[in-house]
Amino acid sequence: MIKHLKILEFAISSLWRRKFKNLGIIFVFSLIIFVLSSILLLTYSFKKEAIAVLEGAPELIVQRISAGRHALMPVEYMKKVEKIPGVGAVIPRLWGYYYDISTGGNYTVMAEYSGLKDLVNIMEGGFTGEKGTCIIGKGISDARFAGIGSIIPIIGADGKVRKLKTAGIFTDESRIITNDLIIVTPDDFRDIFNLPDNMVTDIVVQVYNPTEVDNVARKIKKILPDTRPITKNEILRTYDTLFDWRSGMVLTMFLGAILAFIILAWDKATGLSAEERHEIGILKAIGWETSDVMELKFWEGLVISSLSFLTGLIGGYVHIFFFGASVFSPALKGWSVIFPEFHLMPYINPYQIVVLLFMTVIPYMAATIVPSWKAAITDPDVVMRG
Amino acid sequence: MEAIIRIEKASKCINRGRPNEIWPVKDVSLQILRGEVVVLKGPSGSGKTSLLSLIGCMSRPTEGRILIHGRDVAKLPERFLTDIRRRLFGFIFQQFNLIQGITVRENIMLPLYPTERSFRDMKDRAEELMESLGIIERQHFRVKGLSGGEQQRVAIARALINDPEVVLADEPTAHLDTKLSKDLIEILRKLKGEGKTIVIATHDPLVYEQDIIDRIIEMRDGRIR
Ligand SMILES: Nc1ncnc2c1ncn2[C@@H]1O[C@H](COP(=O)(O)OP(=O)(O)OP(=O)(O)O)[C@@H](O)[C@H]1O
Ligand SMILES: [Mg+2]
Repeated sequence: MIKHLKILEFAISSLWRRKFKNLGIIFVFSLIIFVLSSILLLTYSFKKEAIAVLEGAPELIVQRISAGRHALMPVEYMKKVEKIPGVGAVIPRLWGYYYDISTGGNYTVMAEYSGLKDLVNIMEGGFTGEKGTCIIGKGISDARFAGIGSIIPIIGADGKVRKLKTAGIFTDESRIITNDLIIVTPDDFRDIFNLPDNMVTDIVVQVYNPTEVDNVARKIKKILPDTRPITKNEILRTYDTLFDWRSGMVLTMFLGAILAFIILAWDKATGLSAEERHEIGILKAIGWETSDVMELKFWEGLVISSLSFLTGLIGGYVHIFFFGASVFSPALKGWSVIFPEFHLMPYINPYQIVVLLFMTVIPYMAATIVPSWKAAITDPDVVMRG
Repeated sequence: MEAIIRIEKASKCINRGRPNEIWPVKDVSLQILRGEVVVLKGPSGSGKTSLLSLIGCMSRPTEGRILIHGRDVAKLPERFLTDIRRRLFGFIFQQFNLIQGITVRENIMLPLYPTERSFRDMKDRAEELMESLGIIERQHFRVKGLSGGEQQRVAIARALINDPEVVLADEPTAHLDTKLSKDLIEILRKLKGEGKTIVIATHDPLVYEQDIIDRIIEMRDGRIR
């Protein structure tokens, strides 16, 4: 026991003795872990968020498409959909985007509808259904320092200001979905956006049998050719492939970093300096066993790689969750369509971290130990003659 | 007197079968008795260092046998050789072979790191040796800056830390002036007085003409005469 502690102590003192070289290795090693872990944390959190958003989403939504763009839908469409066998309720939705000049934020404005009731338990205050009131997301409440009873001024399509009174605020738990959301009454919604009474934004279609969803979607498309039915499964699949850590771009970046790592390990493996070889010879000659020398090298490798791994991992975490992946942002421009602003929640997949650990620490340890082992098994007098 | 070490027809070959094949030690037989001070004498390249490393189990003979306390060690696994080296021998190398970047005290304690001896124990023993060799004030210095004589004493202290039966010294006066060489002889005399067996490889008359030397073995071209 004491023996191992003493060897560990000597390992640390040896590392310190070559501090510039070792700090260089730690720097490069951490940098690679930083890049790799950033990629993993980012994609995984993206995926988690996307899935969390979709979890509460309806199974089937139908939008009208006009000239290839999402268009308002006449209420008559609802009747036609209702007639399809297997369809339960058809719920109209009213929603849109609102740019708030005073805070510079882009809000999602949504009229209250029955499906929203599920969110009641994740807010303070509550739906009153009264005209002139609204529920706001945490992001809006923070940006405006608004509490319950605060007035939110909204400029309507006619240029006039409506003063909405805050009746409820969504809590933090639902932040992914509700951060920039404002819920108003349907009447207020039509008033603000000057929407005709016979038009809705889209419809939510409830299907009795979940396995029938795709079928129903196909039928809707047939009856109403200018619509686009969107099923939840379809979106989930798209997100899955988009954010899968084995996919396209992620894989490319990942391989790049792994390659850099292999170069580092290779350099280390081939670069056992004459001084280090000589030292191994001395240790052997004064009575250290091969296994003792290996233990020394093992500790050295472990200290370096665990230090680097932790630094890189913590760096990656801070980078992604505190600095919004700023280093990657040029490469991630396209994704900002899905998340206009980074409000990433820290999600960590332990499995991925373990994989990363095995893919870096183990090869590095091997790269340190193997050449030392080769030096240590030769007769000490040969090693010392150089 | 009992023979601690017996060498029987040992030869050492380097680069066997290749054009640069050499035999630094050729067909050597000798024995070393307990408490004896023996000198291996010969010109440079005659194989003194090579024979000394065979004696000290630092390398294996290509042919022949090495018997330590009557047991043939030439074929033993590496682990046993290390163990014998650690328990039986203390080496003072031609080039000192100290680790430059660490302190005097660490260098001296180094052989005891992979043992169960407590740090305190190691430290006490190291201090005792540094005291007797007059380098105690240097204990926290890095080896790098020390003079040749001081480095040699560090090497001696390191060789003695495991309290070996046999001390092997390779050209111990090579880097020393006359005064320091005489000091060294006094250290060896003291070790002899403590009952240690000593084997010295040297071609320095100042060493092999001393009264403490019991026997001189002359070497030439890897053979003894
Ligand atoms: N590992 C080795 N590789 C190459 N040559 C070797 C090796 N070991 C010994 N030799 C050669 O064997 C011969 C004897 O070497 P050794 O070091 O034993 O001589 P020595 O008597 O100690 O010489 P010196 O007085 O110069 O120290 C030399 O010619 C040396 O070059
Ligand atoms: Mg020599």
